[in-house]
Amino acid sequence: MSQLLEATFWSATVAGGLRLATPLIYASIGETFAQRAGVLNLGLEGYMIIGALTSLYVADPTAAPLGFLVGGLAGMGLALIMVLLSIRLFANQVVVGFGLTILGIGTTGYIFHVTTDVGGRDRQVSLPSEIDIPLLSDIPWLGDAVFGHSWYTWLSLGLVLVAGFVASRTIFGLEVKAVGEDPDAAAAKGVDVLRIRTQATLISGFLGGLGGAALMLGSVGRFQPYLTANRGFIALIVIIMASWSIWGAAVGAFVFGFFEALGFNLNNVFVDVPIEGLNTIPFFVALVILTVSARWARMPRGLGENYVPTV
Amino acid sequence: MTSEPGADPATGTPLSVRGVSRRFGSVQALANVDFTLEAGEIHALVGENGAGKSTLAKIVAGSIRSDSGSMSLFGQPYRPTSRREGAAAGVAHVRQQLSLVRGLTVAQNLQLGRPGAPAIFNAASARAEVERWSDEFSLSVPAETLVDDMPLAVRQQAEILIAVAWGARLLILDEPSSALGPLETKALIALCHRLRSEGTPILYISHRLPELAELADRLTVLRAGRVVVEGADVRAADLREVATLMIGDVSLLEVNRPEIERGTTRLTVTDLSVSSTQEIGCHGLNFEVAGGEILGVVGIAGNGQDSLAKALTGQAKLASGHVVVDGEDISGSARQAIAAGVAHLHEDRSTGLAAAFTVADNATARHVRSGRFTRFGVRLADKIARHAGELVERFQVRPPDPAARASSLSGGNQQKLMAARELEKNPTVLVAHGPTKGLDPEAAKAMRDRCFAAAQAGGAVVVISADLDEVSDLAHRVVVLYRGRVTDAFPIEDMTSERLGAAMAGLTETMEAASG
Ligand SMILES: Nc1ncnc2c1ncn2[C@@H]1O[C@H](COP(=O)(O)OP(=O)(O)OP(=O)(O)O)[C@@H](O)[C@H]1O
Ligand SMILES: [Mg+2]
Repeated sequence: MSQLLEATFWSATVAGGLRLATPLIYASIGETFAQRAGVLNLGLEGYMIIGALTSLYVADPTAAPLGFLVGGLAGMGLALIMVLLSIRLFANQVVVGFGLTILGIGTTGYIFHVTTDVGGRDRQVSLPSEIDIPLLSDIPWLGDAVFGHSWYTWLSLGLVLVAGFVASRTIFGLEVKAVGEDPDAAAAKGVDVLRIRTQATLISGFLGGLGGAALMLGSVGRFQPYLTANRGFIALIVIIMASWSIWGAAVGAFVFGFFEALGFNLNNVFVDVPIEGLNTIPFFVALVILTVSARWARMPRGLGENYVPTV
Repeated sequence: MTSEPGADPATGTPLSVRGVSRRFGSVQALANVDFTLEAGEIHALVGENGAGKSTLAKIVAGSIRSDSGSMSLFGQPYRPTSRREGAAAGVAHVRQQLSLVRGLTVAQNLQLGRPGAPAIFNAASARAEVERWSDEFSLSVPAETLVDDMPLAVRQQAEILIAVAWGARLLILDEPSSALGPLETKALIALCHRLRSEGTPILYISHRLPELAELADRLTVLRAGRVVVEGADVRAADLREVATLMIGDVSLLEVNRPEIERGTTRLTVTDLSVSSTQEIGCHGLNFEVAGGEILGVVGIAGNGQDSLAKALTGQAKLASGHVVVDGEDISGSARQAIAAGVAHLHEDRSTGLAAAFTVADNATARHVRSGRFTRFGVRLADKIARHAGELVERFQVRPPDPAARASSLSGGNQQKLMAARELEKNPTVLVAHGPTKGLDPEAAKAMRDRCFAAAQAGGAVVVISADLDEVSDLAHRVVVLYRGRVTDAFPIEDMTSERLGAAMAGLTETMEAASG
């Protein structure tokens, strides 16, 4: 019990939270773009897991950064199916999205199964070292909690800044919001609704793939079937909690990571409580936040509805 | 686009349309239309609802394509394949169904789709630009308010402002004044005059005769997709001549107010307050309307009209007070309001109708809960279509096709469809917010007659409008709203423009103060 009063317990929890949040940050930022554009992209789990497996199989013989990048491209490839079926051929978004998630989980499990024979031990990558920022990492408490992360985490934080800027300060960001809120009016103003929705969906696929790759290369190091374990769906919850804001999504991902890390760390304190119980903490927190944020959250008006252009 | 030898882009005819046709399914919206917009002119395009005016405007703007025919713009062949191309060629278009994107501010809308806008959105300069144009043309358009939170009249002005700010070489205005009051219309007319003097030709679509007579140099009349009067000079003509050109039968403009017997009080509003993010709301309103009586509510847009309309139809949560219909308190319940027979002609057709649904679904929407068109919860499509067909015939919705999407109807026909839904049965209370907006003279007359008929059948009618002519044609009694309070109330015979002007500007003492 007394551990709870120690600073190191909390700094370790914050650090663990940020590490666990990293894949979520990539995935939820990308999905925020898609949903702001009106595309309910439920294939996110699929993009992540396909990104995870691909990144491993590329990084293993070559190098981690290349694996990371190709993982993103793999997610984007899967998102292309969403673009073709839902955005261009107007198939129901929910159906296609779930289909892609199932497809992603199934095919990665299958490919993994047929390409390894020692339960994956022959397919492993070593985890990255922490990047120490001189002086800053040495600050007591804060240094432990906030600094000393891998480059996947640092990159995700940079991504938040860039994505936040793009969403709120560029014409592309305005166009994304416009086609998600009011596609008819946007089209009347000369915005190419289908093009913007396509771009936003591909961004979501790419970042979803990066999220899976970050999970694989940054914190797990080896594949197992259904490795992503609902992280894609958690990202979907994060977006609602964040009321479709980029900054909010980043904070929400961290909150999730933090409580997940807290569950793990509490497991060392309350050894009698089963880990499964502690693992539900983030979901309870999410429920509370969702209930509270429902008071002000406003989803994009055109979310989930296909836009059929009239000529 | 290749330039013709010798054609000077600055001096060629601004717009020439030759033999343009367009068909939608079985409807020939435009048939072999010739039209010329000359340099420095304001050219009025008029014609009955569904004549094809908006279709022609959209073709010129690049939003839709013609089936055949050709166009040239400032002497150059012009074949836009998208709205973006039309905008890039310098054609600005204020649409009848506004195209401001909800969820964004006016400043953001200004930059969205704007030809040549930089990739980075500069919020400060966009805001400054909106404010500058708003001041320059005496409009009242806020830069940083969400479009959703602005009254229709302000949205309409914002749309005009954006068209002007884009620096158009040619401007199309499709019923730009339909939600505007007299002051705003005056500002719009001044704006058009100024653009014309600066050399921007304007294609101006409207059903409002007085402003056409004041604005237009020439007039083209469409009927059922064909040009029946091409470019008649109206500069020297008087109102009657213009009217004859426009509608043939001038008697349609006359209003015959029937004698209506006054019944007992049907609508009672006590201490009504609504707080609203969208506008000023309303504060402590008290009034009664008897059966057979038509009450006019006037005021500059955004002074509480929306809140009042919502409160009377049960769609607003009241901060205080009661709305009582025939002794039943309907405050805050749209369902109860409908059950009590309250009908509502919404100010904004795009909200008042479900645009993506069919004409039949819209026409019968009031019955959704009645069970009349369902059996064991299953919709009876045949019965719905048959009933809708009758309604559409009765209210002269054109084309009378129950299976068409509501959004495919022309603006005026959407208005008629809304009336068909709301006025199928005689209402106990009719809340009519701009009832004749967008209607051609014949349809406007029919709509006025429907309002009279509702009163004659014993209903209490509340007409809310920015159009003072509409109110003086219909109402027996007028109340003036200013900042959500009633500043004056008088019988229609006592209405003078001075008295109205003072009350609408808030210069009259408030009623509470006046009555002690
Ligand atoms: N997208 C569409 N699909 C089907 N029919 C359409 C479509 N757009 C217009 N029409 C039809 O074309 C005809 C002309 O419509 P248009 O909107 O041009 O009329 P308008 O002259 O502007 O009338 P109003 O005065 O009522 O605005 C109408 O019969 C309308 O129903
Ligand atoms: Mg029209």
